[in-house]
Amino acid sequence: MTPRARWHPWAMLAPTLALLVTFFVLPIGVAAYQSFFSWDLLTPPRFVGAANYRALAAHGHLFHIALHTAVYSGLVVTGTMSAGLALALLVDRPGRVFALARTSIFSAYVVSWVAVALLWMWMLDGNGGIVGGALRALGAPPTSLLGDPRWALPALAAVGVWKLTGYAMVVFLAGLRSLPRALLEAAALDGAGPWARFRHVTMPHLGPTAAFVATTTLVTSFQAFDVVRIMTQGGPARATELFVYAIYEQIFLNLSVGKASALAVVFFLLLLALAGLQLRVWRARAGEAR
Amino acid sequence: MVRGNFAGVIARRELLRAWAASLALGHLGCARRVRPAREEGRVVVTFWYAYGDRIRKVLLSLVERYNASQTRIRVKAVHQGDYFEALAKLRTAIAAGAAPTASHVVLEVLPYLARAGVLEALDDYDGARDLPFVSQLAQRGSFEGAEGQPLFGLPFNRSTPIAFANGRILEEEGAEMPRTWDELSAVARRLTRRGADGQVRWGFEVPISWWYWVAALGQAGGRLIEPGGGVSLGDAAGEDAIRFWQRLVRVDRVMRPPPGRDYQAWQATNESFLQGRVATMWSSTAYVRYLEDNARFPVVAAPLPRRARASVPTGGTMLVLLRAAPEEEKKAGWEFLRWLCDDPQTLEWATRTGYMPVTRPAVKRLVDTGWYERHPNDRVAYDQLADVAPWPWSPDLFRLARDVVEPRLEEAVLTGRDAHELMDEAREEARAPA
Repeated sequence: MTPRARWHPWAMLAPTLALLVTFFVLPIGVAAYQSFFSWDLLTPPRFVGAANYRALAAHGHLFHIALHTAVYSGLVVTGTMSAGLALALLVDRPGRVFALARTSIFSAYVVSWVAVALLWMWMLDGNGGIVGGALRALGAPPTSLLGDPRWALPALAAVGVWKLTGYAMVVFLAGLRSLPRALLEAAALDGAGPWARFRHVTMPHLGPTAAFVATTTLVTSFQAFDVVRIMTQGGPARATELFVYAIYEQIFLNLSVGKASALAVVFFLLLLALAGLQLRVWRARAGEAR
Repeated sequence: MVRGNFAGVIARRELLRAWAASLALGHLGCARRVRPAREEGRVVVTFWYAYGDRIRKVLLSLVERYNASQTRIRVKAVHQGDYFEALAKLRTAIAAGAAPTASHVVLEVLPYLARAGVLEALDDYDGARDLPFVSQLAQRGSFEGAEGQPLFGLPFNRSTPIAFANGRILEEEGAEMPRTWDELSAVARRLTRRGADGQVRWGFEVPISWWYWVAALGQAGGRLIEPGGGVSLGDAAGEDAIRFWQRLVRVDRVMRPPPGRDYQAWQATNESFLQGRVATMWSSTAYVRYLEDNARFPVVAAPLPRRARASVPTGGTMLVLLRAAPEEEKKAGWEFLRWLCDDPQTLEWATRTGYMPVTRPAVKRLVDTGWYERHPNDRVAYDQLADVAPWPWSPDLFRLARDVVEPRLEEAVLTGRDAHELMDEAREEARAPA
């Protein structure tokens, strides 16, 4: 279809462009501008050049925030996908018991992050929590996972995995249900065992589903805030300081709009790089497919 | 000081909304209300507060009584989460032109808000110069270098750090409350018990928090900011305080490792104490009544131990009026704040919560009625005021607390990082432009 006038496509795009510019481009532009100022909302902003970036980079603070965010997201995405796929394969069976199991597993996903965080705080408590008790029963030294800088981030990621696994399972189940049974039967007739059928038939079929789950889980994990705010407040010893929480802490608790803006800009650039990488991979795969 | 539970998390949307508004208005100058809020002919005074649980109930009962006592003013008390959440909301509300009439703010932030010009100077309000506050708890006594500053804050819920012990454990073990750091180490070692099931009864616990570090820094003979204005963070004394905690946690293993940050750590410490998992702790005088009422053992309070000297900072908050409020509202707000500082209210507040009585007549009344004989822990808290080290009047004080020192304390204790290296880093950051 050819537009009657050259400006017609732009007119069609205008509402979306206006929204994008107003709610995405402009705010990030404002944040980039404010990142060069020292400002606390109450006193006049003072131009400080790149001082906010330098202050954040000093002593590896910024690097640690980026690293913690990457590790958290990596653990949540891999954990959620593995557990979601395993559970989908396990409960993809007829019968009431499996229906109940599917519903139970998915129910965690509909519970709010705040409730999940409070529940797990209680379970992970070093003194009275059942996880702490179980670890002690297994001979582990008495410790609070959330109070130990080595374990706090994996513990938070585990909570994220627990919450999101139900969602991944449901999406994988949908993928499994769309797999033609005839393919599996044909592979079985050709002598393929369960593992070979899974590897050479099921997995390739679930490729797009897995990409969808990975992308949505990654986005969710990058947005992690409630769970950090409630369970650790970025501690112990800044071990769970993720980008979104660090931005919140800088602006609302430390009264520094400049540093918060600088963090937001760095976070935006990292996400931009990640999105670019993802696009490149997809385009390369699309090229191979042709 | 009291933790304000998770109400703040739920109220985050309001906060973000206010922030968005403030971003829009920030560079244009703060909006200001001109007309006072009215309801049924009464001037409405909006009072933002950050008290939870029992203390919230006491405040609301006072507000209710005030509203019933007259017909010109209606005070609306609005809960805003814990101290830091309340401060964040207050700041964004000021920037967005939606500030309340009155609030209360943590001590460390008072100089910063004063410099920002958002607080109402109270000197010229009726009777402001004649309020008979206990000197260590009033603005002038709480800060050094504040001479010449207008009066911005009235003391209300004021506290100091204090030591508490489980009286039953002390008696069983034949131990006494430590008076020095060395005694604290020895007593904590003696009271620590490790069970076969891996459970530990810790000899000592303190929230790894700025306030308690400032107390220890003072005891070691240091000061945060030198008289010339240089930020020293106590120099060697600040490092000694960290090393002391590091030794108790990592070498002697008699102090419970920090269970969390901010007020989460305070609450966790109190809970450990009440559950008998900790024999002695440092906490706030504000918790005296709460601990006494909830413990299934005698609670024994004692002054904090000394190193080079005895020293405690004061804490809690000051009542303030916001400059941006309409004049009529501010006058009404002043009447309410003034009423809160009258003897009956001061007495009720102190006796029902455990916060310090802030006026001299209230203290005299407590002495005359034998309150301190019946409540010896309150007496300990009051007597400890003799050892108060005032805060420096510095607009950077809050930044030092939140941004520079607080995160490093936890790191020092949990990772064992060298205290000198860590504090050098902190001093460098403190001296850099904000």
